[in-house]
Amino acid sequence: MSTTQSQIEGPQITGASRSLPWGKWGVRATGLIYLAFMIVVPLAAVLENGFKDGLSVLWSDITGRVALPALELTIFAALMVTTVNAIMGTLTAYVLVRYRFAGRGLLNGLVDIPFAIPTLVTGVMLVALYGPQSTIGNWLSGRGVHVIFSTPGIILALLVVTYPFTIRAVQPVLLNAEREQEEAAYTLGASKWITFRRIVLPSIARAITTGALLTFARALGEFGSIVVVAGNVPRRTLTAPVYVYGQIESDNHRAASSMSVLLLAVSFALILGVELMHKRRDGGAS
Amino acid sequence: MRHKAKLILKTVTLLSLGSSLFLIAALQACQTSHGSRRLILAGYTAPREAYGKGIIPAFEDYWRQKTGQSIEVLESYQASGAQSRAIVGGFEADVAALSLEGDIDRIAAAGLITHDWKAKKNRGIVCTSIVVIAVRKGNPLGIRDWSDLTKPGLNVLTPDPRTSGGAQWNINAIYGAALRGYAGVAKGDQDAAQGLLTDIFRNVSIMDKGGRESITNFEAGTGNAAITYENEVVVARQAGQTYDYVVPRSTILIENPAAVIDKNIDKHGCRDVAEAFVDFLSSHEAQAAFAKYGLRPTDKSVAEESKSQFPKVEDLWTIEFLGGWKQVAQSIFGPQGAYTKATEQGK
Repeated sequence: MSTTQSQIEGPQITGASRSLPWGKWGVRATGLIYLAFMIVVPLAAVLENGFKDGLSVLWSDITGRVALPALELTIFAALMVTTVNAIMGTLTAYVLVRYRFAGRGLLNGLVDIPFAIPTLVTGVMLVALYGPQSTIGNWLSGRGVHVIFSTPGIILALLVVTYPFTIRAVQPVLLNAEREQEEAAYTLGASKWITFRRIVLPSIARAITTGALLTFARALGEFGSIVVVAGNVPRRTLTAPVYVYGQIESDNHRAASSMSVLLLAVSFALILGVELMHKRRDGGAS
Repeated sequence: MRHKAKLILKTVTLLSLGSSLFLIAALQACQTSHGSRRLILAGYTAPREAYGKGIIPAFEDYWRQKTGQSIEVLESYQASGAQSRAIVGGFEADVAALSLEGDIDRIAAAGLITHDWKAKKNRGIVCTSIVVIAVRKGNPLGIRDWSDLTKPGLNVLTPDPRTSGGAQWNINAIYGAALRGYAGVAKGDQDAAQGLLTDIFRNVSIMDKGGRESITNFEAGTGNAAITYENEVVVARQAGQTYDYVVPRSTILIENPAAVIDKNIDKHGCRDVAEAFVDFLSSHEAQAAFAKYGLRPTDKSVAEESKSQFPKVEDLWTIEFLGGWKQVAQSIFGPQGAYTKATEQGK
């Protein structure tokens, strides 16, 4: 994640004079064609479908009485999840890098589990654990707290599914960070918290936002676990991706594409915005 | 570009259909291997047990006795609408046994079914069921009819009609019963019928993707009542579940069609087997198997024999009462339809 960033900004490969031109162009062409096939063409297909009947139709599609609450719920849940995982993920990464304890390697390996299991299974696991029939779920609902088949369940599932993003973005930066400044700060009597806030945090800020962005984008699009835990009742627990699925299944491709276009736009605008912010900050610093 | 984009969209949809389908498709139906022949059945989930445990083994015996050939039926089950789209998208099934007419019509509209499937015996309908209300053992909340589902605080389960064609039967049942004056609202009053839907959906807590998922959630202990098919409850009780069901005074007769898919059977060279299979579905033996697994038989003599198994419905009607599926697609599920409005009002 953060390595992608450094690759983009790293030294450009210019010294290709020694290799054959064929090789040079072959590599470029392969890379770009692959990108086109994987991202650009499918994107164009969705955009084409969404804009087919014009902007006003797209607008009325996404402001519908079922579509709009679905969108609001999805963005709300994604924002909550991004905030929590940005904080907790950074903390977890810090703990995994800076502290030595038994089982650290194993725990470190477990972090990636949410990526390794199908999200549908994540959903089933959560229903088994917190569902109305489980001991925990029963205890909670006795106290008026409903997790599964309501908004907390959606947030919980998204937290699990996006868990690794921030950790895996922050970890390598922390590992590579020079520790002199930190140690100097300690030596000068700064508390742990001051040191973290003044020294460590600035150096990992960019990694955190990268992780948070990925978290947000993933949360916006998550389907597999949500369709199991949410309950999917329109205007209450129906999220945008499940809404899109429903529209596809009832042969309403345009409404599905409209919502997809909007989800795409939100993610894209965010990525672009953060990129611009970084550029400006980096420009100002140098 | 437009064409290309469509193609890619299609590819993406296909990918999402699940690898299992491709595995089956890749096996190339009807190819003779070790002297046995293959047939691919694309079914929807509700009659899974009837086909898998009853009809297919019986058909295999029947075909062996008739022709000496052994036959292998590959079964694929998923939600009716999804199955129909999978076939249109390229899943090379030989026979489709789906929940509703519209899902077979979609395959015909794609040019894959070229014969007039509704001209077959019984308009192509092979088995039937009714929409009922599953309740907890002993019916502790005293739910008797559709109007009872509006009681405040009740927790009701029904699958999502947007994702499950089969779930549309449930909505039709409630709406039609209301229009017929059997659900506590004035006869023929469309606004009142829509109001009943709104009130019931206020109590709906989970709308699963398909009927099977919904009833599984109910079996796991969620909810006070589930709107489902009679055969789902019968099969569940055969498997050891102990919950009950109530038959509303007025409900819809669910009619499940089946048809051979001409383009695929000709490609696979198995028209004889496929047509024999669909014909076999109306045989006494297959009808009895449907009955055994809770589906109401279409065959009159089998219906008479299994009469005691199926409670009588005071007011039983078909989709024709609501004007047929094409009409319902607008009047109930369309942008201004009763269901659409009901969900837009709910919170």
